[in-house]
Amino acid sequence: MRRTVLLPCVLAAMVAVPVLAHHSPAAFDRTKEVTLVGIVKEFRWQNPHTWIEMNVPDPVTKKDVLWGVELTSPTYLVRAGWKSNLIKPGDKVTVVVNPVRSGEPSGIFRSLTLADGRTFLERPARLGTAESK
Amino acid sequence: MRQRKYGFSILALALTWYAAAPGALLAQQAQDIPAQPPSALAPDNLAKPRPAAPFNLTGNWFIDNTPAVQGWLFGPAAIPKLLPDAQKHRDAYVKATAEGKVYRDDIGQCWPAGVPIIMTRVWPIAMIQLPTAIYMVSGFMNSLRTVFMDGRSHTDPDIVVRTFNGESIGRWEGDTLVIETKNFIDDEHHWVDQGVRASGELKIVERVRMINNGRTLEIQMTLTDPKNWEGEYKGTRRWNRVDDIDIAEVECLPDLNEHLQSTSSKVHVR
Repeated sequence: MRRTVLLPCVLAAMVAVPVLAHHSPAAFDRTKEVTLVGIVKEFRWQNPHTWIEMNVPDPVTKKDVLWGVELTSPTYLVRAGWKSNLIKPGDKVTVVVNPVRSGEPSGIFRSLTLADGRTFLERPARLGTAESK
Repeated sequence: MRQRKYGFSILALALTWYAAAPGALLAQQAQDIPAQPPSALAPDNLAKPRPAAPFNLTGNWFIDNTPAVQGWLFGPAAIPKLLPDAQKHRDAYVKATAEGKVYRDDIGQCWPAGVPIIMTRVWPIAMIQLPTAIYMVSGFMNSLRTVFMDGRSHTDPDIVVRTFNGESIGRWEGDTLVIETKNFIDDEHHWVDQGVRASGELKIVERVRMINNGRTLEIQMTLTDPKNWEGEYKGTRRWNRVDDIDIAEVECLPDLNEHLQSTSSKVHVR
């Protein structure tokens, strides 16, 4: 039986990283991180957002919960080493998100770790500054 | 028989009038139609002699949103005294935020951001400067903003088509580009900041300077909207030149928010 883990943790002083979004960032709690371990249902590579939908077993009920993970534009993911075929439905992945404040199973992306151990991040949307180099 | 003869005559007269009327009407109307300004891309317009521009905005620009510099909006400190109806929106925004909800995020629902937010959105803006106009295309939903520089006036309010980006007319004052924008759409989905609405009476004056050896744009914005606040709403922002990116096609497709609970959640205030 596949084992998955859902690990919430609170970070006291985490700095929000700006991403290219089409909506208000107010929905996300930037002080919290949730680690999701589950199976990719869909990976959509498109503007203005890339997104991952993944099934994550609830640690209590053991039933799958469909999580939505929002990422920035592919333009910036490419700069962080991503490709459109980096993940595909059925892949087991570990994704860290800042969850939405409402408690719904959704969050904004922080990191992705593949089954082979490689980890991918986003680049901060601060083009034209030393931080983006 | 006589009645039939009269009938034919009336029919012939009617047909003659019908055939002649459109031309006559159009000729009459043409006298009332104001002359259209030449296109900003018309070769004759482009070729007119003009003083050299002090600087050239052509390039890709990105809002400087580093924490040490500024955020992407002007922020609460800059908000002037709001009128009662406008204050209700701001209060509702503050309340929703405190409850962990999003208030009226119309941009997230695919409504146009409009000026001024389209300028400060965290997306690159491609600018192309010609002698007659400056074209700005935001990487965010590919929103088009045109700043006419060919000496034309703002369009007659009776015929202008009001938009979220408004109508921008620019001129050079020394080494500063001054842009006056008005004729905004009067739409409840147009905002100038979080919880701060814009009306059709919004006017914006931008004073644009090129600094840092052409690598940085500084724009001082002054917003007035007598339907929503008293006096002037001011803010200054900077944009950095970015030479290793081209803007892409970006569209808010109907299925986008179906996959983003941060925008589709029913807990948010619509």
